[in-house]
Amino acid sequence: MVLLAQSEIQSAEGSVDAAGDWPPLPSRAWVAWRDLRAGLARYWMWWAMALQDIKLRYRGSTLGPFWLTLSMLILAVGMGVIYSHLFHLDVHTYVPYLTVGLIVWQFISTTTTEACQTFMTPDNVIQQVPIPFSIHAYRVVCRNLIVLGHNLLIVPIGLVVLHIPVRAVIWQIVPAVVVLALDGVWVCLLLGMVAARFRDIAPIVASALQMTFFLTPVIWPAEQLGIYRWMADINPLYAAIDVLRAPLIGVAPAPYSWPLLATFTAVGCGFTFLFFARFRGRIAYWV
Amino acid sequence: MAFVRLRGVSVEFPIYSGGSRSLKKLVLSKTTQGNVASDARDRVIVQALTDIDLEVGHGDRLALVGVNGAGKSTLLKVLAGIFEPTRGRMQAEGRVSALLTAQVGLNPEATGRENIITRGMYLDIHPRAMREHVDEIADFTELGYYIDMPVRTYSAGMIIRLCFAVATAFPPEILLMDEWILAGDSNFLQKARKRMETFVAGSSILVLASHAMPLLEEWCNRAVLLDGGRIVASGTVAEVAARHEAPVQPG
Repeated sequence: MVLLAQSEIQSAEGSVDAAGDWPPLPSRAWVAWRDLRAGLARYWMWWAMALQDIKLRYRGSTLGPFWLTLSMLILAVGMGVIYSHLFHLDVHTYVPYLTVGLIVWQFISTTTTEACQTFMTPDNVIQQVPIPFSIHAYRVVCRNLIVLGHNLLIVPIGLVVLHIPVRAVIWQIVPAVVVLALDGVWVCLLLGMVAARFRDIAPIVASALQMTFFLTPVIWPAEQLGIYRWMADINPLYAAIDVLRAPLIGVAPAPYSWPLLATFTAVGCGFTFLFFARFRGRIAYWV
Repeated sequence: MAFVRLRGVSVEFPIYSGGSRSLKKLVLSKTTQGNVASDARDRVIVQALTDIDLEVGHGDRLALVGVNGAGKSTLLKVLAGIFEPTRGRMQAEGRVSALLTAQVGLNPEATGRENIITRGMYLDIHPRAMREHVDEIADFTELGYYIDMPVRTYSAGMIIRLCFAVATAFPPEILLMDEWILAGDSNFLQKARKRMETFVAGSSILVLASHAMPLLEEWCNRAVLLDGGRIVASGTVAEVAARHEAPVQPG
């Protein structure tokens, strides 16, 4: 894609001669880095935007965002009872596995779907006020983290009701949420840019996500894959779910999960940074 | 000291028609040498600005004059740092406050007071700083009890008052305004002008795009005439106005 789009951009440095007191042009990478940092420094801005998004979504409803918690609870209990019967699994271990799996999957899939709209939803803002582009990505991730937080309220209730002991491994949810948020940011920046330029990306992403849901051990345990277990071990989405789910239900994540997720995050961040540096200046023209 | 300068700035818009918005068509056109989807690259490029050289500095109140589509709004967007020039260079120093359209960051369901905070946020002003000035801003708007009503009940003129009051609550060093701001009533315009004089007298810069010649002559001390994306004349507002209103030379 980098090669395809390269031709449509005239070099910004093209016509500048050496004379004159113009400061040297900052490199694209520096400008992109500055954008990411300036966006982060305005945490109050994207925090307020994210809160406003949630408030607008639930305006007029008594329970507000707790509707999410409630509907997730109903879904988890209903599915948990039926599927544990279908898969011949113990309800006491399966229901927490399923519930947390669905919650984390919902975070990943909603963030990815909304990532395509990162720059298109606030198009009038982008066209009118010069704020760092990264703010829009932080906003999408922040909004989804708030939803994730509401959904995770079920977890302590479940732990008590189902008598699941809290083990020391619980500390891993902190790095897990940080890494998931980092992944969310690069996915939003990358998909946000690509989807602003190519309008058929959003439906492609939506159907790809649906397919991935069936290939990823979200509602069924990875162990049931048997000789196909490697399919879970090479699936970065399984790793992403596993690192947050396992500590919450009191088990250690699968051995490959952290290394795989770390690699996935590093590659994603690196590639997205180059892409963002290259095409940042075009976003205002694309939306 | 606030300044903005442009050298050889050009802006080209690719207008993406249906086909070039599609990744599938773009890929197909590559793999089949363009036989299947020859319309994938049928982009129309609009040359919105060509070779703009401009320096605005200390105490300048610049009027951008030109017919519709001459490039006034595009130039404002370049000055605001929204459009990165496709060629040439732009350098700006100073806190920019841009009033390009009324709609940004206004939540029609929220009250005027709440929108003062939101609108300020988009202008990069922290809600805490904004809250301290809310009453002062509300006074300036002269909206009376409307300030506590939802913004959807406001008239266009009332929205203009609100937006202007927020944008100038913290004296910007560079204030960019598109012509819609001049749609306010004469009482408001007088008040707005007075407020701007207080900070433009300092080291601040005002750039205003409009057709309303008498108003521009009153508000501005410099003008450039844009035509087809190029600067075709510059000088005092009166000189540029004369040129603008002169019959078009053949050729």
